[in-house]
Amino acid sequence: MTTVPAPIHSTSDPRMGLGERLHGWAVSVDHKRLGIMYIAAGLIFFVIAGLEATLMRLQLIAPLNDVLTPQGFNQMFTMHGTTMVFLVGMPVLLGFGNYLIPLMIGARDMAFPRLNAFGLWLFVFGGILLYYSWIGGDGLYGLGGAPDTGWFAYSPLTSKAFSVGHATDYWILGIMVSGFGSMTTAINFIATILCMRCPGMTMMRMPLFVWLMLTVAILVLVALPVLTGAQVMLLLDRFLGAHFFDPQQEGSVILWQHLFWFFGHPEVYILVLPAFGFISEIIPVFSRKVIFGYPLMVAATVSIAFISLGVWAHHMFVIGMPPWLNSLFAASTFLIAVPTGMKMFNWIGTMWGGRIRFDTPMLFATGFLVMFLFGGLTGIMLAVVPFDWQLSDSYFVVGHFHYVLFGGTILAVFAAIFYWFPKAFGRMLSEPMGQWTFWLLMIGLTLVFLPMHMSGILGMPRRVYTYQPGRGFEIWNLISTIGVPFQIAAVLLLVINVVKSLKSGRVAGPDPWDAWTLEWETASPPPSENFRKIPTCTSARPLWDRKHPEDPDSNYE
Amino acid sequence: MSARDHEKIRGREAPYLRGVPESTGAPMIAAFGVTLLFAGLITSPMVMLVGVICMIVGFIGWIRTVFPNEALEMLPIGSEIPEPAPRFDANPRSERVSLPEEIQPYRSGVLGGLIGGIAMAAVAIGWGVLKAGSFWMPINLLAGIFLPSVEAANVDALKVFHLDWFITAVVIHLVGCVLVGLVYAIALPIAPRRPVLFGGVVAPILWTGVLYGSIGIINPALEQHVSWRWFIASQVAFGVTCGFVISRWTKVPTMQKWSLQERFHLEGNRETKP
Repeated sequence: MTTVPAPIHSTSDPRMGLGERLHGWAVSVDHKRLGIMYIAAGLIFFVIAGLEATLMRLQLIAPLNDVLTPQGFNQMFTMHGTTMVFLVGMPVLLGFGNYLIPLMIGARDMAFPRLNAFGLWLFVFGGILLYYSWIGGDGLYGLGGAPDTGWFAYSPLTSKAFSVGHATDYWILGIMVSGFGSMTTAINFIATILCMRCPGMTMMRMPLFVWLMLTVAILVLVALPVLTGAQVMLLLDRFLGAHFFDPQQEGSVILWQHLFWFFGHPEVYILVLPAFGFISEIIPVFSRKVIFGYPLMVAATVSIAFISLGVWAHHMFVIGMPPWLNSLFAASTFLIAVPTGMKMFNWIGTMWGGRIRFDTPMLFATGFLVMFLFGGLTGIMLAVVPFDWQLSDSYFVVGHFHYVLFGGTILAVFAAIFYWFPKAFGRMLSEPMGQWTFWLLMIGLTLVFLPMHMSGILGMPRRVYTYQPGRGFEIWNLISTIGVPFQIAAVLLLVINVVKSLKSGRVAGPDPWDAWTLEWETASPPPSENFRKIPTCTSARPLWDRKHPEDPDSNYE
Repeated sequence: MSARDHEKIRGREAPYLRGVPESTGAPMIAAFGVTLLFAGLITSPMVMLVGVICMIVGFIGWIRTVFPNEALEMLPIGSEIPEPAPRFDANPRSERVSLPEEIQPYRSGVLGGLIGGIAMAAVAIGWGVLKAGSFWMPINLLAGIFLPSVEAANVDALKVFHLDWFITAVVIHLVGCVLVGLVYAIALPIAPRRPVLFGGVVAPILWTGVLYGSIGIINPALEQHVSWRWFIASQVAFGVTCGFVISRWTKVPTMQKWSLQERFHLEGNRETKP
């Protein structure tokens, strides 16, 4: 039987005991292992958040149901949202960045490897601290005290008067600790990308994924400290009697919203831009074409990041801002559709006329295009102020952002898993199982989230634990819940596929997809030093140049 | 490789050429300490104390791995030197292009949008005259996108001329037609083989479907009075006319083979422009 070469300094030596292997992973500062741990931890939290969502859907399957108490439902949507944003989306994407950036730029490791490990463990321990609230939230060792104020933690819900016990404090501190981890990782990304590119790799030769992660890292450093600052203010309110968010003492509840959404909206792009990066790497390889309009894609990325910092108040159209301010934020929100649209056109332009291979990563990438387009269009609808007034805080909004974040980010993450798994583990994932995973996930996604638009238009508010019969919500909620098993089946199938492929998957070789970026030049899995020799870069597709010396890209730059 | 090339490459060496960072548990211990420090705020001072101790132990361990010399695991011999960049012979005979190579000029989209807008208006006004008995009815309904007063108006008011409604409707119509015309000009070169069919039939049907679902929110007055058959007919009239006008224009090559200087029409490169 063919075997996969083990990396140097491997802890997968069969003579090692489980304890030794775990220790090897725990003390590792290798960016590849940290990347895999980031992704694995994120996926564990993904399963937990999925279970929370399943409970919510079961509660809403029929009117006046009592699977969950109102308090329990509040805790579920709070923990689901918080987990998906802070403990799934960001870490999984940062994990891919950790794994891929040094490989893609031809570096041996990240600029600050130990800081990298510090960031990972901060995220893991921050997540555990948040979930410890189930035990300690109602006061030490009380039960059932998870945060219940929503992932946005609006004041005054989070004030001492309305949030008794320590649940909100666990939310603040857990997210803060995880946030420190994300910030250290962002610093590391910026230093690595700017300082450690291999000879010949200019900024305009970097893979688009690296460009997008650089942009995301800058966004993290701009946006996340604002949330941390707001959380410190909230802690001061709760512990030391400050009144930043207390309107009875000349504080402002709106101030929290401004601070939160100044972080919260760029956060959407922090979650979506790496997904754009995956798609920008996958579509050209499976279309057998150069990415259409590379400089335009870079410009669009930077524009999206810049504009995303000026649109936060479109989450606040219903709080009573002056009309001119609403119009300003509506206009800036419309504006962000321009560079996003450019990206969509460029991906389609890349596919157009290409020799497309619909392997599993490409299937997911194509699914991403469709779902993200739908999510983007409903986003533009919500940017229309009167439309938002009608549908704000309805299930339409829930459907919209799940199309953006689930249909966008999660589909892209699945595409990335199927695309880079052979590189990380040296074995291919099963293609038939991958295709089943794709179709199950697409069916599940559509069944769960499309009906939410309808129930929202009919007037169903979000964050309600039940509803009265006879208002037209029943059928849409029933369909939504029916979609859940499809999603569970898709995730289970992926897990089975991974386990099976790790044991007996087809050996991948260094470059199973006939790709063009540097990570495919080295062995699969890569040795601990990544490249036996530091590579040099001659164009935006260095591996193409090596494979096709008769027609290299460097002749056209 | 010549000694000079060797020297050049050594001058561009990336960090960690001689080793990879040695494993250490110090960052994990430090992170654990930081977390306990924060957890101590809401649990007990003892937790905080343990956190501080862990943090100090972790940071000291961390510092010891980088000072005075960074702890590295040595790499196998022969893996230090970057490979020289491959050199390729220039191959001026082959040209690699991105598709589409040619597009219709943007002004064709503007003109197509305006002429398509006339066709669309003709059909819409035809509906107004033949079915609703008023020339002004479709114009007033269009103004309802922006003007709440239209929504509150009764049928009689919708059938007569209002200057402010008229101006609003004309502006909406002109801007909308020009923008959609531009989208057509950009999209048609990458549309399937029969662009007029795509622009005239497929796109209007998709567009009408979207509007059918959302018109009640965008323009309730229009939803109340609209005839969908005529609505689709007006959209098709726009699409066919606009697509036809755009497709009649001679395509121009994209600027993908031009240098940046040529794209900005700089004097120095005028003679090299194709």
